[in-house]
Amino acid sequence: MDFTISDEHRLLRDEIIRFARNELSPGVIERDRSGVFPRDLWLKCGEMGLQGLPVPEEYGGAGLDPLGTALALEALGYGCEDGGLTFAICAHLLACVVPVWKHGTEEQKQALLPALCSGRMIAVNGMTEPGSGSDAFAMHTQARRNGAGYRLTGRKTFGSNGPVADVALVYALTDATRGYHGGVTAFVVPTASDGFSVGQKFEKMGLRTSPISELVLEDVCVPDDAVLGGVGGGTALFTESMEWERICIAAVHVGTMQRLLEQATSYARTRTAFGRPIGKHQAVAHRLVDMKVRLEASRLLVYRAASRLDHARDIALDASLVKLFVSESLVKSALDAVQTMGGYGFMTEYHVERVLRDAVGSTLYSGTSEIQRNIMAGWMGL
Amino acid sequence: MEAMNATVKDYILTEFLPGERPDALDESTPLITGGILDSIATVRLVVFLEEQFGVRFQPHEMSPDHLDSIRAITDTVRAKRAEHA
Ligand SMILES: Cc1cc2nc3c(=O)[nH]c(=O)nc-3n(C[C@H](O)[C@H](O)[C@H](O)COP(=O)(O)OP(=O)(O)OC[C@H]3O[C@@H](n4cnc5c(N)ncnc54)[C@H](O)[C@@H]3O)c2cc1C
Repeated sequence: MDFTISDEHRLLRDEIIRFARNELSPGVIERDRSGVFPRDLWLKCGEMGLQGLPVPEEYGGAGLDPLGTALALEALGYGCEDGGLTFAICAHLLACVVPVWKHGTEEQKQALLPALCSGRMIAVNGMTEPGSGSDAFAMHTQARRNGAGYRLTGRKTFGSNGPVADVALVYALTDATRGYHGGVTAFVVPTASDGFSVGQKFEKMGLRTSPISELVLEDVCVPDDAVLGGVGGGTALFTESMEWERICIAAVHVGTMQRLLEQATSYARTRTAFGRPIGKHQAVAHRLVDMKVRLEASRLLVYRAASRLDHARDIALDASLVKLFVSESLVKSALDAVQTMGGYGFMTEYHVERVLRDAVGSTLYSGTSEIQRNIMAGWMGL
Repeated sequence: MEAMNATVKDYILTEFLPGERPDALDESTPLITGGILDSIATVRLVVFLEEQFGVRFQPHEMSPDHLDSIRAITDTVRAKRAEHA
């Protein structure tokens, strides 16, 4: 396998890192503390093309292939210290923009993609419900036939971008008896629709600049052309969006792990204890080596999966493998970085305690570690 | 024709009913509604059918209408092949 990075990708990566450091990272401690979504920065990211990385240029995207998309997101994870903003971009791009691009009709793509790619329109993915998280297809939200369209009723929860979104990708039962097997349909629902409201907003442990809320649908009427990807096609559409999300969010984590490693290494080279740099103490050095091993293994897994993303039919297995390994590696490496920096690592102004808090979410969203293991067990015929 | 049924039956028996006797599965045994194929098994079966028979399933076709029995499966695959013949 050869993942030689082209000059074009290298330039793009450098450009994103510079942009993220200069424009997105400053002020992150205050934003994280107050939990505000930085809409101005979101729009700047849109100008950079981040919300439409893999979408063809004719629809306002940057036209990158999946590996290029992963490389760009890795650069963002490396350069941008605002993990919540990066997460908000991923939730929008991977769980909402990708399915519209992949499964929308020509009219839907023309109506939605340019504004979604530029960030003028923000999307939220509505799958999880209060009673169905891991068992996502045990949902209750229903879409009933209503004249020339559908009437949607139900309650979604943990919708990232929910409080600021203009449009929601809502999964609902069009045939409760079928459920997973052809009974779920995806709908594009403007959040300004009658009967649509945001519901409870949640405060979180990490990723605090990414707002999250319920989505309440009380007899929301949508026309037939709100259906995305065909009636009964919601399962396949959601599954594909999770493949993109699991692999490409892991790319962000790889960038974040690189930043953590560089920070912890440079700290260990300069901080002294017992008359020498702490990195000369073997127990500290070994911890940094383990961070390096996790980083390189994660990066290879992400590149391999991203390079197969658009054509391999068993990509769901890769996606779970990548998501499991990389998210758990991120949590371990964030803890290791804090430990290496001692008391300073625990202090907000050193920026690693926030990364640790952000990292804890990574083994939960897009399917928990247990669910990734279950998926892999299924693919292994167990 | 018989060969296709046998290939599909063999795959389902080995992958999803290990240790089960071959006569436990016939052409009309309900696979999805009978709980033999869960969500991941259904995707794996479709990947197998696509690779084995050179067909392509649409998102909404991962349903009992098309996959609930060996007969339904082979009918679907044959119809798809005829379409592209
Ligand atoms: C930061 C963040 C952002 C999110 N953004 C979105 C979003 O934008 N849109 C959206 O729809 N959802 C979103 N979610 C929801 C997320 O997908 C769910 O939280 C997740 O799928 C788990 O569901 P749950 O919280 O209901 O936990 P449960 O499903 O109740 O699980 C609780 C525990 O039981 C374990 N468990 C459950 N079933 C099994 C099993 N079969 N075998 C072994 N263990 C099991 C789980 O792994 C977990 O440890 C987000 C979540 C977070 C944390």
